[in-house]
Amino acid sequence: MERKIGVYICECGPNISEKVDIDKVIDAIKPIDDVAVVERFKLLCSADGKKFLEEQIKKHGLTHLVVGACSPKEHEKTFMEVCENADLNPFLFQLANIREQCAWITDDKEEATKKAIRLIKAAIGRVRYHSSLEKREIESNPDVLVIGGGIAGIQASLQLAGPDRKVFLVEKDSSLGGLVKNFEKTYLGMKSAVDIIDEKIQQVNINESIKVFTDSEVEEAIGFFGNFQIKIKRKTGESEPVEFNVGAVVIATGSTLFNPDKNPKFGYGKFDNVLISLEFEKINLAGKISLKNGKPPKSVAIIHCVGREEKGYCSEICCMYSLKFASYLNNKIPNVKITNFYSDLCIPGKNDQKFYEQTKSKNVNFVRSSDVEITKKGDQLNVSYKDENNSKKNLSVDMVILSPAIEPSIDASRVAEITGVSQGDKGFFAEEHEKINPVSTSTEGVFIVGCAQGPKNISETLVQSEAASGKILSSLVPGRKIQPEVKTSQISEAFCIGCKTCLSVCSYGAITFDETKKVSVVNEVICRGCGNCVAACPSGAASIKHFKFNQLYQEIKEAVK
Amino acid sequence: MENKHHNKDVLVIGAGIAGIEASLLLSKADRKVHLVEKTSYTGGTTIKFEEVFSNMECSTCMVAPRQQELLQDKNINLITLADVEEVKGSIGNFTVKIHKKARYVNMDNCIGCNACFEPCPVSLKNEFEEGLSQRKAIYVPCAGALPNVPMIDTENCLRFKGKKCTACQEACMFEAIEYDQKDEKLELKVGTIIVATGFSIFDSNKLSKYSYNKIDDVYNSLEFERLYASNGPTEGNIVLKNGKPPKSVAIIHCVGRDETGYCSSVCCMYSLKFNHYLKSKIPEIKISEFYTDLCIPGKSHQKFYEKMKETKVNLVRFDEIEVSKQGKEIAVKYNNGSGKKDVITVDMVILAPAIKPKDSAAQLAKTLGISVDEYGFFKEENPYVSSVISSKPGIFIAGCAQGAKNIQDSVAQANAAVGKILSLS
Amino acid sequence: MAEKFEPRIVGFLCNWCSYAGADLAGTSKLKVPASLTPIRVMCSSRVDPVLVETAFLQGADGVLVAGCHPGDCHYDEGNYYARRRFAVLKKVVEGLGLESDRLRLSWISASEGQRFADVVNEFNEKIKKMGPNPLREKKSL
Repeated sequence: MERKIGVYICECGPNISEKVDIDKVIDAIKPIDDVAVVERFKLLCSADGKKFLEEQIKKHGLTHLVVGACSPKEHEKTFMEVCENADLNPFLFQLANIREQCAWITDDKEEATKKAIRLIKAAIGRVRYHSSLEKREIESNPDVLVIGGGIAGIQASLQLAGPDRKVFLVEKDSSLGGLVKNFEKTYLGMKSAVDIIDEKIQQVNINESIKVFTDSEVEEAIGFFGNFQIKIKRKTGESEPVEFNVGAVVIATGSTLFNPDKNPKFGYGKFDNVLISLEFEKINLAGKISLKNGKPPKSVAIIHCVGREEKGYCSEICCMYSLKFASYLNNKIPNVKITNFYSDLCIPGKNDQKFYEQTKSKNVNFVRSSDVEITKKGDQLNVSYKDENNSKKNLSVDMVILSPAIEPSIDASRVAEITGVSQGDKGFFAEEHEKINPVSTSTEGVFIVGCAQGPKNISETLVQSEAASGKILSSLVPGRKIQPEVKTSQISEAFCIGCKTCLSVCSYGAITFDETKKVSVVNEVICRGCGNCVAACPSGAASIKHFKFNQLYQEIKEAVK
Repeated sequence: MENKHHNKDVLVIGAGIAGIEASLLLSKADRKVHLVEKTSYTGGTTIKFEEVFSNMECSTCMVAPRQQELLQDKNINLITLADVEEVKGSIGNFTVKIHKKARYVNMDNCIGCNACFEPCPVSLKNEFEEGLSQRKAIYVPCAGALPNVPMIDTENCLRFKGKKCTACQEACMFEAIEYDQKDEKLELKVGTIIVATGFSIFDSNKLSKYSYNKIDDVYNSLEFERLYASNGPTEGNIVLKNGKPPKSVAIIHCVGRDETGYCSSVCCMYSLKFNHYLKSKIPEIKISEFYTDLCIPGKSHQKFYEKMKETKVNLVRFDEIEVSKQGKEIAVKYNNGSGKKDVITVDMVILAPAIKPKDSAAQLAKTLGISVDEYGFFKEENPYVSSVISSKPGIFIAGCAQGAKNIQDSVAQANAAVGKILSLS
Repeated sequence: MAEKFEPRIVGFLCNWCSYAGADLAGTSKLKVPASLTPIRVMCSSRVDPVLVETAFLQGADGVLVAGCHPGDCHYDEGNYYARRRFAVLKKVVEGLGLESDRLRLSWISASEGQRFADVVNEFNEKIKKMGPNPLREKKSL
């Protein structure tokens, strides 16, 4: 079919018309063979301008449209819509930026005009090689797999489950509840944690849209956003793996505690009555805080920041739960002497400082210290430390509670491999963007919430679970198809030499290797169109739609004239 | 919950990063959003930063694409220069009255060429730039502000004060300046509301010991952010009042903490960020960071702290501190953690003030019928459920409006509020 | 025919950061040499050696590749690859018989309009001193 390119130059009021000799540009463009029409217009982005363009496309039967105007970041979308309205494929269009990067950067009208001509000729050259691109739609499955039945996974499941959406909640232990089910109370308000988690577990159990698999693990999660094939296996028994499909996955594998026996100076595992936080929570919940000899402790030392040096980060919740422990002790053992050994007090929540001050006022001693070491001293334990002035001091206590760092769950690596999500800082799952995308990952459709993403408290965990649900509820709508990126990579089977270089450079895991054909294949649903694989490909087999070599070559050709 | 009054539209109050993210996510779910913003621009406080912790990412690069998307999103009705005046009704059925101030510039006609600024005869302090540079009576707050359409400040515009002046209108080639625009009263019907109105910082003038505004070269955090910003009043050149770059700086954490009674959670991190700012522009500069407790929770923050430590910053734990003029320099007198008194002299002092609720928060809470806590932040329903749930069903809170927090947590709350809304029926 | 040498510089600018920074230079009415023609790519990692070589073989006097600052890449790590490729590309340019300084890599963020202007001005001056691309006359493509 004969090519008919329409070229329209926007005056943008005086912004372009006063800085660029538009008539000269028109004169330069008119003689080009396949340019059917060149015209100028006062303001193409206005309602009148858009109407004018639409009419022009239809009137001249244009096959391609080139507009010389402002930056594509301003109005590329606008003019693409005009094309669509005029039944012209919106990708058969190119916008030449003759304003921000031409008219506005120089006062030399002659230079600006010459550059405008170059830019428009480049756009014309490029648009000749554009192909029609169609938006694609693929079916998606609205169901969700939640890995981990602690408070994060439970909250996500409750938010997501509905008559149109099933949630498969997989938990490796024999019951739901994770770490929280071991706490007598939550800090701040000191309400019953067990009640909170039990109520949520009840809600899960009566929810017909949530299917719970305890004593189970995920074995496989293959596919992509909208279409994951999941395999889970029960840890005990010979039962067959259960298979089902979902559209999204939420990783809520929680955390575990740094093991202080890695550092002998804490005396953990060496001496009696040295407990880690979780152990203390458990004996407290069971109703009796007592030493090995069955008697209640008269003095307790709570050591913050255990493992902080080894791990290299602050776990955020330990100062606060250490305060909670002081509260437990004060409530249960009259006249108990409590000393908190800390380095920096981390109490960032708006109500945290108040809780600290309330705790402190109840005869709890706070000692800023370093180099804490626990040794045995007769029937008691000796806490040796350096105080603020760097003087060595000692304190004898009956019981020592260690507040260890929070680490990613021991299953994190396995789940990372199965889902294709990377483990980032300190082994926690890597979010897509530290600031504005904290619960998404670079594997589209896989989300991370709670302590799996990083140390945090219950309130923040609930927020993240709901944030992930917000992301899923808005993108995986029952009945709605998914529209992936259009300008994706393609790999020519003929030219691919099977070197797999492209697989290693793709940040999104969008390329897989076909073992039978021995070529790389792009999953166009996951591909984000960055072009890295194109540059990496040694044989030129990879190309990006709309940013192909021959298209860019046309721009280069004009740029150097 | 099949309710014939269940309106799916959402009102988002505040177009800072939390409001922007909430609106975009709601739009993705095909919800109509009315995004009401008090100022003439989007981006809130985040766009005042050049870089954000902990990887020093360019803040504009992070936010601008979101702002652009917002402006072009058909589901989002952005209403700037607007306040919420009245809210009646209940979840699924709120009627909201908005007062929209006139911009006096037609947003469809204006193409953002800025030709109207130059001829304006009025010049005054630019609030966005924390008073460090001037603006005209017709202005955009900063280069790159979105929407890129100016507004007329009628309190200072000559014409609106009765004088004859049409300088801006004469300069405009697009007939975009409309002096006869009127304030409007709008009525919106929505099903749910998200409050994302952000924060303000503690007024350092209240504490004379910091000599803020009493001596030169004592800046608060937002002023310093603008000094460093490449689109700011000095194009990113860090200079003293006398025009020379500082040789030594003291950064003081916890300003106003005793008065507010809580830790603002972000100041230690951004103070370390300031260390990076200063070292990157003035490598030989000597920096002292005065702090009480180092608050750097999270998997990514300590490594940034370690990196800053390597730049030989002088970290000083203090108990009491005082800033005063000493000759041509500034003296910082302090008690260190063990009670020992000491003093250093510096060229510049940067204060990290507490984050507090906006002054308008109390009034907005009344209008919405939701509670505020003892600090004035919007109050979550109770601490054991998600912090985005306010005291009134159907109204959610996100970002610093609920309490001091960093961008990651604000965005998570914005997404969570959306999650809550989308899971209602 | 003593024509004053006006360089022709090809600029590959990434969509998210440097192209926006270049736009901002324009919005701020900064003076930027018209010698640079911008070519938009989605990511600096799209800029492959063939594009750069083609530009020089077609007669470009200078090639500027601009992307987001390390750590800020919209596509996570694309600019790190661009940086690595750039090191190799310098050698390739030398292999063409050209000064390797005719190829430049810059990180320019969306808010750095002034920086874009400064980089292009400086690069333009440098190229002017180096003189025209000797391959200009010998174009064989």
